[in-house]
Amino acid sequence: MNRLDALFAQWVARTPDQVAIDGGGELLTYAELDGLANRFARRFLAAGLHRGDRVGIHLPRSGRGVAAMIGAIRSGAVYVPLDPGSPPQRMRLIAQDCGLRHVVISPQLLASWAAAGVIDFIEHFFLSGDGAAPALPPLVRVHSWAELQATEAMPVPALGGSVDDLAYMLYTSGSTGVPKGVMLSHRNALAFVEWAAEVIALHSGDRVASVAPFHFDLSVFDLWSSLSRGASVVIVDEVTVLNGRRMLDRIHDNAISVWYSVPSALVLMLESGGLAERGAPSLRVVFFAGEVFPIKHLRRTMAAIAQARFFNLFGPTETNVCLAYELTGAPAADAPAIPIGRPSCGDDAFILDADGKDVAAGEIGELFVEGPTVMLGYWDGGRRTPARHPYPTGDMVARRTDGELMYHGRRDHMVKIHGYRVELGEVESALHAHELAQEAIVFALEQRLVAVIVPSDTTLSVLDVKRHCADRLPRYMIPADIRIVTQLPHTSSGKIDRVRTKAAIVEGDVNVLAPVRSVVD
Amino acid sequence: MNARVKNSIREHIVNRWLNGDARGLDDETDLQQIGVLDSFSTLDLVSFLDETFRVQIEPSDINNETFRTISTIANLVLEKLGPEGSQHRRT
Repeated sequence: MNRLDALFAQWVARTPDQVAIDGGGELLTYAELDGLANRFARRFLAAGLHRGDRVGIHLPRSGRGVAAMIGAIRSGAVYVPLDPGSPPQRMRLIAQDCGLRHVVISPQLLASWAAAGVIDFIEHFFLSGDGAAPALPPLVRVHSWAELQATEAMPVPALGGSVDDLAYMLYTSGSTGVPKGVMLSHRNALAFVEWAAEVIALHSGDRVASVAPFHFDLSVFDLWSSLSRGASVVIVDEVTVLNGRRMLDRIHDNAISVWYSVPSALVLMLESGGLAERGAPSLRVVFFAGEVFPIKHLRRTMAAIAQARFFNLFGPTETNVCLAYELTGAPAADAPAIPIGRPSCGDDAFILDADGKDVAAGEIGELFVEGPTVMLGYWDGGRRTPARHPYPTGDMVARRTDGELMYHGRRDHMVKIHGYRVELGEVESALHAHELAQEAIVFALEQRLVAVIVPSDTTLSVLDVKRHCADRLPRYMIPADIRIVTQLPHTSSGKIDRVRTKAAIVEGDVNVLAPVRSVVD
Repeated sequence: MNARVKNSIREHIVNRWLNGDARGLDDETDLQQIGVLDSFSTLDLVSFLDETFRVQIEPSDINNETFRTISTIANLVLEKLGPEGSQHRRT
């Protein structure tokens, strides 16, 4: 098995003029991407980067971001994609957790970091475009885009690393309020990437969409399967993905052949992009993952893109993709759900009860995964907590008699909102940080987060809570529905009664959850 | 007309995303910054504007500047309604 960077290098040598990244305004061939990656690697090393250091990648999705990732790996570092949509306060938690000293950043995002004062421990910023740097503390060095372009593009000395080296870290929502860094090796990524590329016979003529954010594990397929097979990545940027029509235009205009996204993106193209009428003739493969695809929408999507193969992929960030299911035809209209499939990528799956014993077919138990996709562990502030083996996913599943696994929800307080993992505890921690929040609890109801808060002072408004959350949490974690109430029900042990609170929300029971009387104009 | 459009948008935002609590919200509050407007709520708001004012909001009309405050959204609606706007308004 070769490392990610070595697989890419083979295609640089074979097809230097092939388009590697089609970023809308910016096209990069394999040779150009290679050169830019080398420039990044040279500057990282010149800036005192040591082997094993982490490099933050904080910019909108682009070929430059991909070049920075490859450059980080080539210089012996670990890349950490950071969400450009997250507030600086959360970025600070992540940067502190993984000890970031080097960050590749867009001029706009650097300005917002500087304004929020979260840059005190970063030593080197590498700008991903033209633009003036904001005023920064004296010891912070900013490397301009012009300096980068003027850097020698010759390869840095080969490091001869192993496929078991840490390649990148993805930060996911953590139940204690601090995001968790999932450590993934070249082997972890390739077990999935090579499996998927093999199953769909990915080739250099393919044009693979990049729809998912780089800090989201779906993007690992988009980038690395393409770059390891000589294919082209077509960036469907952050603005385009908000609009069904523009997103479908991008598929048509750029002859995208392979697509991997959360179901919500496909549903958006159905509902506001005209997918049912226009179809998507260039697509030959559609992968989806991250959330349950409602059957009625799945049926319409499959009818609109009838020529493509459809796969439901499953797995938490900690195990990449570990289960897969290829649909052999659209599910029946009255089918309750589709399977999440069977073990893939060389993994084994076990379904165990609370005592760690195998459950019988049809019975629900927790999914445990063993195999090459299972992460190295959590970074955990540098303590590097190794993964448990087999890895307990926290997902409850049952095995059908035909061997396919069916999903039955979560064991804990993790939920998915439009495909994003949200630990309710992280949102609750953010709410508790508000000085007027006495008690707070958060649930997910039908893809919406509901927060119920008891204030210590009746002046607390819904808008105050929204603003407070927006300063600390990414957009998808801000509760859509905020209730400010006089009190919450408690269990006999004194804890907030989650079950009764949730029931009162669903039933609209104002006896249990009396709203705080507010001055309404 | 401007005030009526703004009131109607404000009322929708307050009921839909602020649970009826209008405290602190004014016409210049940055709705993106406070986490009220994201991709999903923007789509919801577009269909509300379509139903209430009978205006066709095109994808090209939706950006960070037009969908930022109650004022900027009202300006977009008024622009779409044109000088004859009030006659097209459904009541």
